[in-house]
Amino acid sequence: MANVLVFAETRGTALRKTALEAVTAARAFADATGGGEVHALVAGPSGVGAAASQLGQYGADVVLVAENPALEKFDRESIAATVAARAQSGNYRAIMLGFSAQGRDVGPRVAAKLDLPIVTDVTDIQASGDAIVVKHPGYANKVIATLQISGPSAVIAIRPSAVTAAPSAKAGKVETISLAAEPSASKVVVKEVIEGGKGKIDLGEAPVIVSGGRGLKAPENFKLVEDLAAAFGNAAVGATRAVTDDGWRPHSDQIGQTGRQVSPQLYVAVGISGAIQHLAGMRSSKTIVAINKDKEAPIFKVADYGIVGDVMEILPALTAAVKEAKAHH
Amino acid sequence: MAASNAFFAFVLTLSAGFFALNVQRLVRYMNLGVSEDRTDHPFERLKNVLTIGIAQTKIFRDPVAGTMHAFIFWGFMVLTAGTVEILIQGVFSGFSFALLLPKPLYQLYGLSQDGFAGLVIVAIAFALYRRLVLHPKRLEGDKLEHTDALIILSMIGGLMVTLLLTNACQFVLNPDTIGPEKILSRQVASVVGVLDPSPTILVSVFWWMHALLILTFLNYLPYSKHLHVVTSLINVYLSNTSGPGQKGVMRNMDLEADVEQFGASDVENLTWKNLLDGYSCTECGRCTAACPANITGKLLSPRKIVINTRQRLMEKAPLVTSDHMEFLRPALIHGEGGDAGATTAAEVLEHRLLDTYITEEELWACTSCRACVQECPVSIDQLDIINQMRRYLVLSESRFPEEIQPAFESLERNGSPWAFSPGDRAKWADGMDIPTMAEATARGDRPDILFWVGCMGSFDDRAKKITVAFARILKAAGINFAILGQEEHCHGDPARRMGNEYLYQMLAKDTIGTLDRYEVKTIVTSCPHCFHQMGNEFPQFGGDYEVIHHSTFIERLLQDDRLPLNTEEGKRLTLAYHDSCYLGRYNDIYEAPRETLRRALPVVEILEPKRTKDRGLCCGAGGGRMWMEERTGKRINAERTEELLATGAETIAVACPFCMTMISDGVKAADSSVPVLDIAEVVERQLIS
Amino acid sequence: MKIAVCIKRTPDSESRFKIAASQTAIDEAGLKFDIDDFASYAVEVALQLNEKQGPGETVVYAVGPDPVQETLRKAMSMGADRAVQLKTDATPYDGMAVAKALAAELKSGGYDLVLFGKHAFDTSGGIVGTATAELLGIPCVTAATKLEIANGRGTARRELEGAAETVEFPLPAAVTIDEGIARPRYPSLKGIMAAKKKPLETKPAQLGAARVTVKSMDLPPERPAGRIIGEGVAAVPELVRLLQTEAKVL
Repeated sequence: MANVLVFAETRGTALRKTALEAVTAARAFADATGGGEVHALVAGPSGVGAAASQLGQYGADVVLVAENPALEKFDRESIAATVAARAQSGNYRAIMLGFSAQGRDVGPRVAAKLDLPIVTDVTDIQASGDAIVVKHPGYANKVIATLQISGPSAVIAIRPSAVTAAPSAKAGKVETISLAAEPSASKVVVKEVIEGGKGKIDLGEAPVIVSGGRGLKAPENFKLVEDLAAAFGNAAVGATRAVTDDGWRPHSDQIGQTGRQVSPQLYVAVGISGAIQHLAGMRSSKTIVAINKDKEAPIFKVADYGIVGDVMEILPALTAAVKEAKAHH
Repeated sequence: MAASNAFFAFVLTLSAGFFALNVQRLVRYMNLGVSEDRTDHPFERLKNVLTIGIAQTKIFRDPVAGTMHAFIFWGFMVLTAGTVEILIQGVFSGFSFALLLPKPLYQLYGLSQDGFAGLVIVAIAFALYRRLVLHPKRLEGDKLEHTDALIILSMIGGLMVTLLLTNACQFVLNPDTIGPEKILSRQVASVVGVLDPSPTILVSVFWWMHALLILTFLNYLPYSKHLHVVTSLINVYLSNTSGPGQKGVMRNMDLEADVEQFGASDVENLTWKNLLDGYSCTECGRCTAACPANITGKLLSPRKIVINTRQRLMEKAPLVTSDHMEFLRPALIHGEGGDAGATTAAEVLEHRLLDTYITEEELWACTSCRACVQECPVSIDQLDIINQMRRYLVLSESRFPEEIQPAFESLERNGSPWAFSPGDRAKWADGMDIPTMAEATARGDRPDILFWVGCMGSFDDRAKKITVAFARILKAAGINFAILGQEEHCHGDPARRMGNEYLYQMLAKDTIGTLDRYEVKTIVTSCPHCFHQMGNEFPQFGGDYEVIHHSTFIERLLQDDRLPLNTEEGKRLTLAYHDSCYLGRYNDIYEAPRETLRRALPVVEILEPKRTKDRGLCCGAGGGRMWMEERTGKRINAERTEELLATGAETIAVACPFCMTMISDGVKAADSSVPVLDIAEVVERQLIS
Repeated sequence: MKIAVCIKRTPDSESRFKIAASQTAIDEAGLKFDIDDFASYAVEVALQLNEKQGPGETVVYAVGPDPVQETLRKAMSMGADRAVQLKTDATPYDGMAVAKALAAELKSGGYDLVLFGKHAFDTSGGIVGTATAELLGIPCVTAATKLEIANGRGTARRELEGAAETVEFPLPAAVTIDEGIARPRYPSLKGIMAAKKKPLETKPAQLGAARVTVKSMDLPPERPAGRIIGEGVAAVPELVRLLQTEAKVL
């Protein structure tokens, strides 16, 4: 029987998607290894405890809540110390968390503090006898490594969106804990948090991405891309390097080798030729749709479904069809 | 000896001495440059002097200005004899060539002097008219250059006029002294005779004016762009731009040498020949007028590069050689881009040719098309200076347009200037049953020919089609060939053109190693850059192969009837062929592609664009510019495509994958749907399968 | 400033990879290796900091067998002053083991700043930098896209998902470098020549135990070939149908 400790990441008082994914993964692992307990740890400003019920729904037996007004801004040092302290006192087979930007900061610190092995960007977790076996993509997603972790415990950071958060209701009993270190003693201090556009779904979180390239001819035509994204309801808008370099879209929207790497459920490439640098950013999407007027465009080689034709005509038609389809669900 | 003779002897000695000192000074400055040996192939060099120099072949490329200049130049050469006679007469009044030559010859000589004097006057008059009234664009220099030109033209005109007037006065005084062959002089005499029946004073005045003009002119030369009078024939002799040997070969570099810096940042890093080029420039502007970068509004002007070299030399050399003879700051220093305005010696030494005179922007704008070198009537090698300075920028300061860094890095890591996986190199050959050298060798086979595909042909979607077309042609002709497949990697030419000699030599030597391992003797390639590099520059590193461009190869196959072509008379097709710089100006291959097109399409009508063959405008991709952004002025490929489309041809044909890319882009940008095809594709379509 | 940069030797990212016969590693035949991309940004950041702030020293470290010396020389040809190879027979996959070796070596270095790449191309772990900093007991900024140092303190920017944070910290500190912060300079021939004479020290690496090992390496499953389902507006209804029924994403 193996207990699992989960660091459930929040931003402010809101749980992040990776937190639920981590709990789901922990729940599955615990169930597969004799039905141990999943303890989820949340640390945040006052009111973060409200997240506890959601964590319970997704499989946490116990939710450890560390509320501290000093945690308005993310304080990695005190949070890592708290997770490590809890792990030290408990007997956890594994410590799981999402491999997000903040997860990158917390995971290795916890492992170093506890002298535990750590694996990151993990897409699959299995127990194999005494060992834990994980899958981890390397070489820019060109090779999948299957890694074996030996020892009584390990830190496992899960690739965001690799696990689909699934409800599995458990008690979610709340336990209040205090931070193991004072945020005021932290050396790395957050001075400012700059929000991205309000209400914009982040490319890394969006299940659907509609992306535009040079084939749109002019920056104004990106409106058609935005319309399609809006029709999907949960879509983000991406762009190729060509159009971000030209200033049509902000650089943060760029998907590709030197931009964001994404793997949504659905990626719709509009007016994008499919240069290798762009493909490197979206190749691992579950389903790829390409719309381009050039039937020789390389994008059609990676697309699951392709339509050849004038994007200016096809986009509005597709937007209408998607709206219709969504309305009937 | 009369007093006047003695006085003249004194003046002559003084002038000659002053001139000699100046020549010696200029030679000393020139020797600040790095030494190099140009004593090879004396007969070929002499041939160049006779054709380019004496026969003015390059000057005549502009027929009107060429004729004008030829008159002046031939006139100058012929009249030099007369000048010698006059100068000797100044000291020994009784002297005359009549004492040395039999009468008929002397009369011929007299006729030549008079005749050419007349021709020169006509030419000078036209030259003045051209400069002052017509204002041709390429003569739009600065005010100082203009003044210099007007001074020279006036002096030459003055020399001719005073010569005729002197003769005229002599005739009036004593008709026996001027023979009947001196028609012009006698005509002038009839006018003079009316104005002054006894011009005893005038004859001396005109004579002294003429003689002093000669000596003034002589000593003005080192301070003027007219110095080319002294240096041009010498420069043509010592130049390599029209042979001996293969032209367009970049000079080699010893990277093991224990030197302070690599490449040229200032005049003493250039060779004495580059500096002599600086002396020989007449600022005619033909190079700049032919430069695709300059034509489309970039800062680069090949003329400026050469003049700046001269200006910088004149600025720095006096200080470095402790020249106390610098009487005046020579006019050579001012003008186009010059006068960096240094007021102290320290400032002069802080300046350098690079940055102070010639900017990075100018150096990177060059497409290495060789049009400037082609046009220069005195065989200056502008490209050589540009290349040596690019080498300095890259090797010594790592200063280059940031967009080419990925190309360098990719060449180093991937063996290709683009980020493609080396594993994909031979994907185009899938299903075509083409052996690699490795496979053939393992079987014990010996392919006759290596088909070198090149990076464009291996990876670029459009160029891959050309590769497949040519491979099909080779198969149809039953050629026993193989490819290197994944063992092929870039030979480094792009790196060399962009100044990265270190990366280039690594790649070139490695390629030669691979080729020698397979004992390759003959290579055929569809890319003119690969063709020029492996055929003409590999010998620098011991790689000696027979390299054939596919247009020549296909032409041979067609001549030998080895390709089964469908020769049905189809619809008449008009086609414009775009000459690739590395096939044309570098290797003189103009006819083979045209002949191939004619043989493949019997009813083709080849339309020539306005600038064609050795005057063809570059597509803009050479000199490494394929990897650089074009940020100023009009796009070179747009300029060239407009010209090709203006022929009204239904198809455009090219023989280079770079030209294919640039012209295709140009056609798209012009919203035209004229197809652009490679020669191989045109032929392959006619193959009877 | 005295800056240490920890770099790694990794294969070129454009390569097509094959699995070696052992099934636990990639086949290195024909691969070209160089400084890992993120590590090269870190080297550039170090060089720029020392150029801006007056005389300093940039020292590069790498863990691995002898071929890693070529990579250290490349960093010195960019401008690093000296290099240290922590020698092993093979570079372990276990990031924590590597972190222990680096921490053991860097402890006595007296560095104002220790820089790492955010992650390495091959192992893509993102572990070594932050773990080494923790073992050294110095503050760490993970994945910085901007970095400024002044008066013994540092300011850095980190990208979050859909947002960014600015952090401040005192020196000595460690920072792992994300992309976009600096463009690694291209070494001049002069730099390459000079690097041949710069000091490169070799010592044995004091690795931690390797508790993470490679069980197998595999190529990801081939994506099944897609298809063009039609042309123009007429194809839209079919696309929507397929997205609903086949792909189940709508």
